[in-house]
Amino acid sequence: MSTPVLEVSDLRMQIEQKTILNGLTVTVKGGEIHAIMGPNGTGKTSLAQTLMGHPRYTVTGGTVRLDGQDVLALRPDERARLGLFLAMQYPSEISGVTTANFLRAAINAKRGEGNNIGLKAFRDELDRVMAFLDMDPTSANRYLNEGFSGGEKKRNEILQMLMLHPRVAILDEIDSGLDIDAIKVVAKGVNSLKGPDFGALIITHYQRILDYVHPDFVHIMVDGRIVKSGTAELALELDKKGYEWVRTELAHQS
Amino acid sequence: MSQTVTIDSSNHLKSLVLERFGHEPDDLVQQRLSAAEQYFTLDWPRLERTPLKKRRLDDIPIFSAPLQPKPVAPSDHALIEIRLDNNYLTHCIVPDALKQKGLILEPLQQAIERSAVRKLLGTLTGKITDRIGALNQALWHNGVFLSVPANLNEPIEVSIGHHATDEVRALIMRNLIVVGPHSRLVVTERLITEASANKMLLSEATEIIVQDGGQVEFGAIQQCASHVEGFIRRIGQIHQDAVLDWNIGEFGSSLAVSGHESHLAQPGATTRSTTVFFGSSQQHQDYTAKSLHQAPHTTSNMIARGVMKDRARSIFTGLTQIDQGARGSDGRQKEETLMLSDESRADAIPSLVIDERDVYAAHAASAGPVDRGAIFYLTSRGLSEEDAIRLIVHGFLAPVIDRIPHIGLRDEVWAAVERKIRE
Repeated sequence: MSTPVLEVSDLRMQIEQKTILNGLTVTVKGGEIHAIMGPNGTGKTSLAQTLMGHPRYTVTGGTVRLDGQDVLALRPDERARLGLFLAMQYPSEISGVTTANFLRAAINAKRGEGNNIGLKAFRDELDRVMAFLDMDPTSANRYLNEGFSGGEKKRNEILQMLMLHPRVAILDEIDSGLDIDAIKVVAKGVNSLKGPDFGALIITHYQRILDYVHPDFVHIMVDGRIVKSGTAELALELDKKGYEWVRTELAHQS
Repeated sequence: MSQTVTIDSSNHLKSLVLERFGHEPDDLVQQRLSAAEQYFTLDWPRLERTPLKKRRLDDIPIFSAPLQPKPVAPSDHALIEIRLDNNYLTHCIVPDALKQKGLILEPLQQAIERSAVRKLLGTLTGKITDRIGALNQALWHNGVFLSVPANLNEPIEVSIGHHATDEVRALIMRNLIVVGPHSRLVVTERLITEASANKMLLSEATEIIVQDGGQVEFGAIQQCASHVEGFIRRIGQIHQDAVLDWNIGEFGSSLAVSGHESHLAQPGATTRSTTVFFGSSQQHQDYTAKSLHQAPHTTSNMIARGVMKDRARSIFTGLTQIDQGARGSDGRQKEETLMLSDESRADAIPSLVIDERDVYAAHAASAGPVDRGAIFYLTSRGLSEEDAIRLIVHGFLAPVIDRIPHIGLRDEVWAAVERKIRE
């Protein structure tokens, strides 16, 4: 398979007539790790959910293409089957559905009818990935996210990502609320997918996860668009100077 | 083509009763005639959230001419089985060994030849209070008598089947079940009809008496077609240290006014109930479950979960009543409903009536729409919206359906749920 390319171009989006995304452009290719940083309330989570197709958001302009295909015309499940993945900031709790059963259904949905994964193959792979992420193997038999701690939920998102092998993953505040050990595990998961077949867009408020997942590009997002892009250095500078620095710089430019 | 009659006067109804049931023992005939008289003075049940006026129930020709039975092969549901098809008995299978021990399974019409059976009949349903009660008492012509003798070591498993083809306009039945001391019974009733363009009236009244130390699991699954207007009333009387468990699946018919009632009549009596309901299209389901604690140290636990889709409407009313003197009793109930569409509606109405201080009672109820965020989450992993909803519904119902101890019934309930999701 060819190297994936996710192209977001001049994306505009509103919720109830309020503009949230205001001409956002970014391109993520296979082999690349991008980080989008920004202050709270700047539309980072809205961007993640819009890319995945949450029905609450209305796109008013721009395009999103994955490998040339018009992503905006697709339902969330079709986007997922195309290879897009969103690790959510607040994953839903699904009562009565175990993580294992859900993952198997998701893998089979992706593989298509008549090409279901065998139970043993699935179980072996699940055990392997859970061990890799230092997860208790019995937790796959718990109901999806129900009663999970914040850290368990984030780990479960990474587990799903590793099982589903997306082409491009968007990780929304995957580090929030995690201690350093948990961040290391999450980072280990992301790094394990690194390669020409995989691109990632890490959305974060803090720089610290970038110590463990090295970004090739860092973008700063303010008021629904990217105002500054650079290398990993930019994240360090931002960490030192704070978001106020970006705002001041913007004010000077205009 | 069968002839059908719409009843237009009390005298007309009485003459029809005599014509059809005049050969029965005199006391029963008198009972029927008295009920026939009340039919015209009483109204249909007045239900706060289920208006019956516009359903034109009086227009259903309830007194149909006899139809041909449609022979059907015995099912493999249980070793002991009774089947009534189009109001005719088609099978009644009881192993000889059990017959010799005193087990009786037969059509109720046959059993009421004995005065002991007639004496028990109607003791739990009590006084007629509405038109459907009068109709049932005046015209019942179908149903089962089951008597389990005392002290049988092995649990007895019985299947009761009611089947109606599209020609049937009325299924009016009574069941009477008596379980002797310290015996165990697992009985499952299945109600199935073919689809029809014309309405059918279903009326069931079931009485279950569980004597000292007896244990009964009563299961029922209703999968009538959408032309059926159904009224189902089931009452159990539970004696000392006896147990009655209800496992009910309500899936079919256009109108279903149904319910079960447990009379915890003697110390140590226990009842548990699990009700699963699923409404689709324009179904209207009005279910009432009652636990009546009439004696000390009685226990009840009522659980219900339902799913509504399309334009379906449900009302689940739970009543836990603890009478004065029923000290040390424990009554609990919990009902939850999930709505899959904006047009569906579900009400869960729990109530506790407690007249004794030294008791434990608790209730919980909720009714809410399916979580759109959860659907987004599941679809974002590649599941279609349909599959996501199926998973959510499965997850919602599993804790309740998996409580059903009878595996056969549990599987049938799952299959019915699966069908309703796809519908």
